[in-house]
Amino acid sequence: MNFWETITGSDLTREWKAFEARAEALPDDYQAAWGQIIAHLFPYGGFTGRNLMPILDAALGLLEVAAADGQSLQEVLGDDIPGFCTALAGGEGARTYRDRWREQLNRNVAKKLSRLGG
Amino acid sequence: MSIQDIIEGKKQWRAHMARVKALPQDYRIVYKEMQRYLFKVGPVDLPDGPLLPGIVDFFEEGVAAGKGVLELTGNDVAAFCDDLVKDSPTFAEVYQQSISGERGTAEK
Amino acid sequence: MDDLTEMLKGTLEGCVLEIIGREETYGYAITRQLNELGFVDVVEGTVYTILLRLERNKLVQVAKRPSGVGPPRKFYALNEAGCEELAKFWAKWQYVSSRINRLKESGR
Repeated sequence: MNFWETITGSDLTREWKAFEARAEALPDDYQAAWGQIIAHLFPYGGFTGRNLMPILDAALGLLEVAAADGQSLQEVLGDDIPGFCTALAGGEGARTYRDRWREQLNRNVAKKLSRLGG
Repeated sequence: MSIQDIIEGKKQWRAHMARVKALPQDYRIVYKEMQRYLFKVGPVDLPDGPLLPGIVDFFEEGVAAGKGVLELTGNDVAAFCDDLVKDSPTFAEVYQQSISGERGTAEK
Repeated sequence: MDDLTEMLKGTLEGCVLEIIGREETYGYAITRQLNELGFVDVVEGTVYTILLRLERNKLVQVAKRPSGVGPPRKFYALNEAGCEELAKFWAKWQYVSSRINRLKESGR
């Protein structure tokens, strides 16, 4: 049974439909990224898929916020969606990703503030 | 989640973002970078918890006192974020726990 | 003294409890007091995260009061659980520091 059947064949259908509705409101490139995120989270979906729901919700939330702010996809996820998914699910290597985001955060702040100061 | 919840949530979120927009630019830059980081790290109570509005409260006080944003947060903004969510479980942690739980019962 | 951050972790919360225990006060005033004590690297953000944690763990009473400038300020006072936590902190501190001193003395 694959992830889709797991999801659609269960009581999670309704929750899943809500995700789809939210995703459809996103810009095209974000929708594509959402598809990739689902695909990459699939291997984590082991047993019922139920435990993936909050993670999917978090990822979709991130995309929504970023799209609403007009941020580019690249800015939000970087160029490594599989890595992003690993970190979201807390799998192997999640630490490394968090370290990278941490550096990214401080670097972006320093860069943008210095541009501001002129 | 009902449609009503979603609409209510969006309204609150818009009001929240309006407060962010009213901050001086240096504060706004740091807030947005922090928010992006926090969403990725994924503490479970982030979207509707008091954390993000609390940061804006804190920043507004700093603005009123005439301080620069880094004076408030320190240069290591990431460390500030990590401290903020230290006690909140992340989605990843909850998820990892749920699979180890399932595995535990599956093996019995 | 530079670079106390790592060493101060875990003890700053006790210091903040002690300061709040003396009189009702707010984040910036607490930060100033810690800076004057010689912990110059402590920024308001650090204190903010500690206050947030104290509030979440229900160790303090919080009151919003208007401030001369800007938005209302949050004032903190210890409640009963906070007083107990403070007593525990000093007991632990006493224990740790006496042991560490003993270690140092024994090497002479």
